[in-house]
Amino acid sequence: MAKKPVFDYDLIVIGSGAGGSAAATIATREGKKVALIEANEFGGESPNWGDIPRRALLQAAHIYDEAKGATKFGLRSGTIGYNYPLLQHWKSLAVKRIGVGNNRQYYEKQGISTFTGTAHFLSPHEITVNRRHLSAEYFLVATGAHYNIPNVIGLEESGYLTPRSILELTRPPKSLYIIGGGGMALELAQLMATLGTQVYIGEVASRLLPKIDNEAGELMERLLKEQKGVISLTETRTLSIQKEGLGRRITYSRGGVEKTIRVDEVLVATGRMPNVDLGLENASIAFTPKGIEVNDYLQTTARHIYAAGDVLGQSTQTHTALLQSRIAAHNLLKKNKVVPDYTATPRLTSTFPAIASVGLSEDDCLRRDLATSVAMAPLSMIARSTTAGFSDGFVKIIADKKGVIIGATIVSPAAGEMIHELALAIKYELTASELAETPHAFLSWGEAVRVAASKLIL
Amino acid sequence: MSASTTYIVKRQGKRPTEAFKAEKLHASIVAVCLSVQAPIGQAEATASSVCNEVTVWLDEKPEVTSEDLRRKAAIVLEKYHQDAAHLYKHHHMVI
Repeated sequence: MAKKPVFDYDLIVIGSGAGGSAAATIATREGKKVALIEANEFGGESPNWGDIPRRALLQAAHIYDEAKGATKFGLRSGTIGYNYPLLQHWKSLAVKRIGVGNNRQYYEKQGISTFTGTAHFLSPHEITVNRRHLSAEYFLVATGAHYNIPNVIGLEESGYLTPRSILELTRPPKSLYIIGGGGMALELAQLMATLGTQVYIGEVASRLLPKIDNEAGELMERLLKEQKGVISLTETRTLSIQKEGLGRRITYSRGGVEKTIRVDEVLVATGRMPNVDLGLENASIAFTPKGIEVNDYLQTTARHIYAAGDVLGQSTQTHTALLQSRIAAHNLLKKNKVVPDYTATPRLTSTFPAIASVGLSEDDCLRRDLATSVAMAPLSMIARSTTAGFSDGFVKIIADKKGVIIGATIVSPAAGEMIHELALAIKYELTASELAETPHAFLSWGEAVRVAASKLIL
Repeated sequence: MSASTTYIVKRQGKRPTEAFKAEKLHASIVAVCLSVQAPIGQAEATASSVCNEVTVWLDEKPEVTSEDLRRKAAIVLEKYHQDAAHLYKHHHMVI
């Protein structure tokens, strides 16, 4: 009888971000011997340099912005200002208080062996980390993604900021050109514009936020222009960047005409590419530059190796990576494998107002040739918009021909909280009338959901 | 970590691991370029370019396999000489 191979670990998790950490913890609690490998800071992108520091700064900027505009409520706020080093301190404090960033000790206390270094597969069951060879029965690849740098002439030579490095600046630049007009670009555009930076956004698509609802993108473009003076250069291709003194000269093409502008800094926010350069070929894992290929159970083509998070190239939301991590842990520990359910996974852009969506968009429905009905309730229809002094936004709900809710988009100050009601409705196939019949508290932003749902009643 | 400290695991560990030698890679690229009738000057220039790019790639990798090195060199070589890259990738089968 063949001898069962002996491995150093039951499970090796490569990457300690959202895609890896949950699985490592779950497997350890189940009594497995687990190793966790991290190339940078433990905790990964989101708590150290991504969502948490960015949103901490956005929160501070939003309060500053609200206070500046508080004269309409009868408050005297003419002398309000900000101290950027203290804002940075607040950001660091938020990262520290969350406790997920740089948390190597947390894993070690649980009995997980931790290693710092770049993992590289040598064979299907063996990796090398700093020339130390480690073997395991199972692997979870959760190496995340890196910023995608577009091929623009002079970009490397003249220097540029990324969504990570812009948060480390000692002061906001006077002017900023952002390459890319997606969710992260808009969050950073609003942050910097609130702090006084003149922002230009160069986006190849015909509108900002090209991957989400039409009206949401158009509304944000208008709000950024009217309230913050952000200049959106849609249908614009950035051609070249030249260093000019302390600043940079940007040459871009728009409508067939080449133009130039001079800015202090350039931010590249054109999305992220999965980190797949870890010898995956040596483990017979199929992948493309766009991500690792997995089946419904998150198994790669090498069945004992799972993958989760941004490395799959499907979603960049932290909660999706966490879901995949938990599912991967379940599937490698249990015999009854489960499939992650993404139907009610919310997507959130933390601008002000925030943009949240769940389920199918109108474009998705068109592509699938689905018969749908769509209803939209502007925030101005509800009383809360009057008491809050803010009415730019809407709730849009999409239902199928039976009235079952299949998608929703919300642009509202509380969109991140409101979307979960609609996520629940989509997950449990509630109809618009069931949602409309549910009492919603008077003077809550949630009333807009009820109004939109009631418009859909057949 | 500099490329000089990158170690190459050969034949899945069946042969002793050795430090990466840029000259060895350079010689193999020159040889494959000459095999597809490239002029010696072009072969040398191509080999230098390939070696530079591979060395940058190895910069943060303490250890890779000889197969990794071959694959990466072939990918880079493809930009400069497609026939040579094809031969470099498949020479085991071709021979």
